[in-house]
Amino acid sequence: MAGSNEVNLNECKMVVPLNTWVLISSFKLAYNLLRRPDGTFNRHLAEFLDRKVPANLNPVDGVFSFDVLIDRATGLLCRIYRPATAEEPEPNIVELEKPVVGDVVPVIIFFHGGSFAHSSANSAIYDTLCRRLVGICKAVVVSVNYRRAPENRYPCAYDDGWTAFKWVNSRSWLQSRKDSKVHIYLAGDSSGGNIAHHVAARAVESGIDVLGNILLNPMFGGQERTESEKRLDGKYFVTLRDRDWYWRAFLPEGENRDHPACNPFGPNGRSLEGIKFPKSLVVVAGLDLIQDWQLAYVEGLRKAGKEVKLLYMEQATIGFYLLPNNNHFHTVMDEISEFVSSDC
Amino acid sequence: MKRDHQEISGSGSKPAESSSIKGKLWEEDPDAGGMDDELLAVLGYKVRSSDMADVAQKLEMLEKVMGTAQEDGISQLGDTVHFNPSDLSGWVQNLLIEFNGPTTTPDPNFNDDSEYDLRAIPGVAAYPPVKSDPGLENTRKRAKTESSSSSSSTTTRPVVLIDSQEAGVRLVHTLMACAEAVQQDNLKLADALVKHIGLLASSQTGAMRKVATYFAEALARRIYRIFPPDSLDPSYNDKLQIPFYETCPYLKFAHFTANQAILEAFSMASRVHVIDFGLKQGMQWPALMQALALRPGGPPEFRLTGIGPPQPDNTDALQQVGWKLAQLAERIGIEFEFRGFVANSLADLEPEMLDIRPPEIEVVAVNAVFELHPLLARPGGIEKVVSSIKAMKPKIVTVVEQEANHNGPVFLDRFTEALHYYSTLFDSLEGSGVAPASQDLAMSELYLGRQICNVVACEGMDRVERHEPLTQWRTRMETAGFSTVHLGSNAYKQASMLLALFASGDGYRVEENNGCLMLGWHTRPLIATSAWRLAGTESGSELTQELS
Repeated sequence: MAGSNEVNLNECKMVVPLNTWVLISSFKLAYNLLRRPDGTFNRHLAEFLDRKVPANLNPVDGVFSFDVLIDRATGLLCRIYRPATAEEPEPNIVELEKPVVGDVVPVIIFFHGGSFAHSSANSAIYDTLCRRLVGICKAVVVSVNYRRAPENRYPCAYDDGWTAFKWVNSRSWLQSRKDSKVHIYLAGDSSGGNIAHHVAARAVESGIDVLGNILLNPMFGGQERTESEKRLDGKYFVTLRDRDWYWRAFLPEGENRDHPACNPFGPNGRSLEGIKFPKSLVVVAGLDLIQDWQLAYVEGLRKAGKEVKLLYMEQATIGFYLLPNNNHFHTVMDEISEFVSSDC
Repeated sequence: MKRDHQEISGSGSKPAESSSIKGKLWEEDPDAGGMDDELLAVLGYKVRSSDMADVAQKLEMLEKVMGTAQEDGISQLGDTVHFNPSDLSGWVQNLLIEFNGPTTTPDPNFNDDSEYDLRAIPGVAAYPPVKSDPGLENTRKRAKTESSSSSSSTTTRPVVLIDSQEAGVRLVHTLMACAEAVQQDNLKLADALVKHIGLLASSQTGAMRKVATYFAEALARRIYRIFPPDSLDPSYNDKLQIPFYETCPYLKFAHFTANQAILEAFSMASRVHVIDFGLKQGMQWPALMQALALRPGGPPEFRLTGIGPPQPDNTDALQQVGWKLAQLAERIGIEFEFRGFVANSLADLEPEMLDIRPPEIEVVAVNAVFELHPLLARPGGIEKVVSSIKAMKPKIVTVVEQEANHNGPVFLDRFTEALHYYSTLFDSLEGSGVAPASQDLAMSELYLGRQICNVVACEGMDRVERHEPLTQWRTRMETAGFSTVHLGSNAYKQASMLLALFASGDGYRVEENNGCLMLGWHTRPLIATSAWRLAGTESGSELTQELS
């Protein structure tokens, strides 16, 4: 076992820059410390270790942010990122909800990753990513601090996503001038990608338009063990065992991974045919062990006649989009930019 | 499963290119050796580029060791104490030590504070009028809830909007406009606006109404130059702190986290001396004394020096507090000595007055909870006090301050900062489940209202609420020759549990920031606890010896 461990580590280091390797390995290490075999989670230590950043009204690289408590009952908070304008280079408190300026202003509702259990909207890795999205897409980004497992199982994260969606949709200051509507995109990585899918489904069922879904390494799964899961288990930062743990922590007790939350196009899934599901941009990392499920998701969208663009990044591992030090990162950012700007 | 590669638009998949990328990236700029990796720094991790390979190696070693240990994860390592997660190298190193070396040599720095009895924290006013047991037998159930924490802060302007309703926004708008008028010395306009605020505020409810009312009053005082009559009576403030202590967890958190650090610094000492820069009602000390009494190996001899302002009626308030603490000490079996010092300002203190005994004989802790910022009102004040602290040769200095920028040179900026800060604070009082009409709540609001008045209406030596953020205090302490004593994950965890126990409001968050702990409401940090030692000394047990 030790021998193959060594091979794994060396292989892994070959495909990512050293600082990325250090970052993701230390996350992996920390996460191993937090998951207990009995399914409980060391939340205090998780929050202690997580590097967080405050919102900041002072624009940094042209982006300022502020937090809004949108549901007192659940303590649901969102972090809003807006571009600083030339006229108001230093926004003050009354400018925060000033109407967005533009015929078409995309609003991206972002759900951070963390396999439903880790991270927050104010985690440094996600604060950084959201700030980038503002610049790349010339958008307002709303990052949702949804409730996490195992303390809050399905459907809490989806409910919080839906609450945030309704809140965004009802903000007059977020409306685009062209049609006095809020132009909403849903985006997320890992569990956030999963949440984006389910919130989109709920939105369109309620008759509210979603202009597009952006799913980065979205977290899907199923009972079956797929070829990619067997082949890549433990090789690139992620193990099947930890994937199983997170699903057990999120799904209702007693449910298996063919639950539609986990496997939307599986045996308990539901067809999206006839539903006005938005176009999707799905990014799959070629070294992610759950890629077969992600590709099955893409296939499921296609079969239902939904527009989907797949970006398969062959040599990418999980978390490649956290640091701008690799080509996959830049490629994906360009694609996201195009995906959002093509909305006319 | 078919793999559809037709849509690959990434160039990162070509092996030749990826190896050249790798080559370029791994042959880091040789001059960048001493600098922190920029990309990781943005994400909250300080790793020198020159250390990167070493950290990677340690991570690999940990992986190997963990991999052969057992299959089910290594969550028991979660029970060790973690410090300063931003220092990845140190964090990984400590884990390696934990994992490799079995716990045969208990490191005095890693003191387990599970003996700290949370019940010892006064849950009601610490000293009821009758000389009786000060609530030690308060048996509040320890609820096991998880809490999450929130943002760290650098020099930023964090804002949490609680109610973004139309009327609230207009109120804020008007407050800001009034402050701006004051800034520009347009007193006629300011006067008109202040009256308008009164009208708007009356149509509001809850926290927003109260905050607006206090700010409006403060603005009015500034405009008409009617300064608060009792601003010069600090003893009144001291009394208002009791209801504030009761209704919300800020002071409890401050005392608790400071006590954690003090406990650890006192760990092997047989004689200890706490110098409390603001004794007030002495609410911080019962819990510490209780924890010392329960110390394995027995309690140390405990000396407390309490400093306080002169009383208007010339009563000896300090002695009264000291007497009550002495009774407690007797009951729990600690040798106790108390001395009170009356001083108008901490800057009037000379260390020689305090009967400091040498470090080999007695370990000293200096404690300053919301006591340092007033010193910024007079030139040389803080410098004098910091140098006095140094002369006391403390093993540990605990500092708790408001996490806010209320001491900038521009009035309008101070006003804006204070508006955000106190709005958040008042909102937390609102949300914390205290009965709306309770006397304690009203007094707590008055306590905060006086601070607002001071920040907004006063200037010069009268303006004592000169709050500054942690980054500035850090700079000050480091420049003066102190270094941080890290508060670790055990202190963090217990602080979080304390919040669950005492604060029924769900929005309180503890956050770790470079070894310091901050308490905030949702994502807005509001107070910060930091602990310091003289640079070049250890905060472990090396300086103290058991004396027979």
